[in-house]
Amino acid sequence: MIDQLEFLIRNIPNLLFGFPGYRPGGLSLSLLLTLLAIGAGFPIAIIVSQGLDSQRLLFRRLARLYVWVLRGIPLILLLLLVHQMTGGLRIFGLDRRPIFSAVIALTLYCSAYQASILLAGMRAIPKRLVESARLMGTKSGVSSRAVKLRYALHVMLPAFVGQSISMFKDTSVVIVLGVAELMTVARIILGSDASNAANWVSLYLFVGAFYFAVAFTFSRFAAKLERRQRNQDLIYSLSNY
Amino acid sequence: MSEELDLLLIGLGVTASLTVVTTLLALVAGVAIGGFKISGTKTLARIANLYIDLFRNIPALVLIIFIAFGLPNILPPDVRKTIFFDNQLVNILQKITGLSLPYYMLAAVTGLTLNTSAYLAELFRAGVGTISRSTLEAARTLGAGPKVTFFQILLPQGLAASFPAISTRLIHNMKNTSLASFVAIPDLFHASQAVISRTFRATEYLLLATVLYLLLAFVFSGILDRVGRQLSPSR
Repeated sequence: MIDQLEFLIRNIPNLLFGFPGYRPGGLSLSLLLTLLAIGAGFPIAIIVSQGLDSQRLLFRRLARLYVWVLRGIPLILLLLLVHQMTGGLRIFGLDRRPIFSAVIALTLYCSAYQASILLAGMRAIPKRLVESARLMGTKSGVSSRAVKLRYALHVMLPAFVGQSISMFKDTSVVIVLGVAELMTVARIILGSDASNAANWVSLYLFVGAFYFAVAFTFSRFAAKLERRQRNQDLIYSLSNY
Repeated sequence: MSEELDLLLIGLGVTASLTVVTTLLALVAGVAIGGFKISGTKTLARIANLYIDLFRNIPALVLIIFIAFGLPNILPPDVRKTIFFDNQLVNILQKITGLSLPYYMLAAVTGLTLNTSAYLAELFRAGVGTISRSTLEAARTLGAGPKVTFFQILLPQGLAASFPAISTRLIHNMKNTSLASFVAIPDLFHASQAVISRTFRATEYLLLATVLYLLLAFVFSGILDRVGRQLSPSR
């Protein structure tokens, strides 16, 4: 019991920041991967959501295909596929380091989900808002899209936070590429030493607790956001009535 | 060539059956936990909340690996062997599935079910929330007990209201079955890896696996659409 605790305490820094002397890893890398995927995925999601909402059949079809394919295959498969493609084709002379493939795959995956959230938000826009925007003189497609996008973002904020949490949990899957995030670090710590068997339970409990702590904090935050949003919307609709 | 195809087809079958089993189990467990949450009993609601918070916030992969590799290690080796890897039930499972270590299959199913059912419980509860008060009051006026109310009103209407969200989650669950390959379940992903290590044709077989997964998602979402249409009373 005591040596298990000692084992855990000894490994906390590794789990949080990766092994000393190597590239950063562990929980901080999980968070970094999440942030990169969300940040890089968002511009793509905006473009794709415009495609989904487009009047042109071709754009709509293409955007739908993009979302359907990326939402239809498991993330592990996408990770391997991207790793294989970027390694095999060497587009843009990309470095073949697994972490790049991981970021690209996570970004693509994230953008498909974000695009469908954005579309749902734009579908939820009250007609009155679009009409009043038109009355105020926003004639060009660009500005009316900007009005729509702003509203969609505002309404869908809780959904975005939820999706980001889901993304954070999904980063555990990059273990297939051997990117040293939390799950992989745990796997490396345990190694293939059979005498380590007793530590399997406690270490994976510990890893689970790490994931839980981060995801739970953010989901509470999302719930709070949603409540505040509802109040705000109520005030908005009352003051505009 | 045909041997590789056989492997992939077996993998497809394993993934499909894993999907069906976990979908059914998660639906039952999700509705039950969601029912606990709205039961009005404080302890039950608290248990349901704990369940939902716990299993929604831990990645499915961590759950599966913990159950498969962590849990047996709590017990001393000889006890572990008789409980998890070598007894009547396990031997029967072994004969049916043809797997050398059926406990890992059990672990994968459990992990996926826990994860998905926690999501479904919350969605089901939200669906029940959309049922109008007057419906419930009408039921009470007509003398329906809590059991009748749950099975005649809350269950069908709550499921119908939340079904679009539930089917999205179930398709996600279908994709998550690929995580079972981490605990040596020969599913489609695992099979594609095996074939690649035999033929060294990574790109081709990864693309083939992608197409097969998309096909599976297409069929599965078609089935779910059908079920959803059956459920909703308006159509």
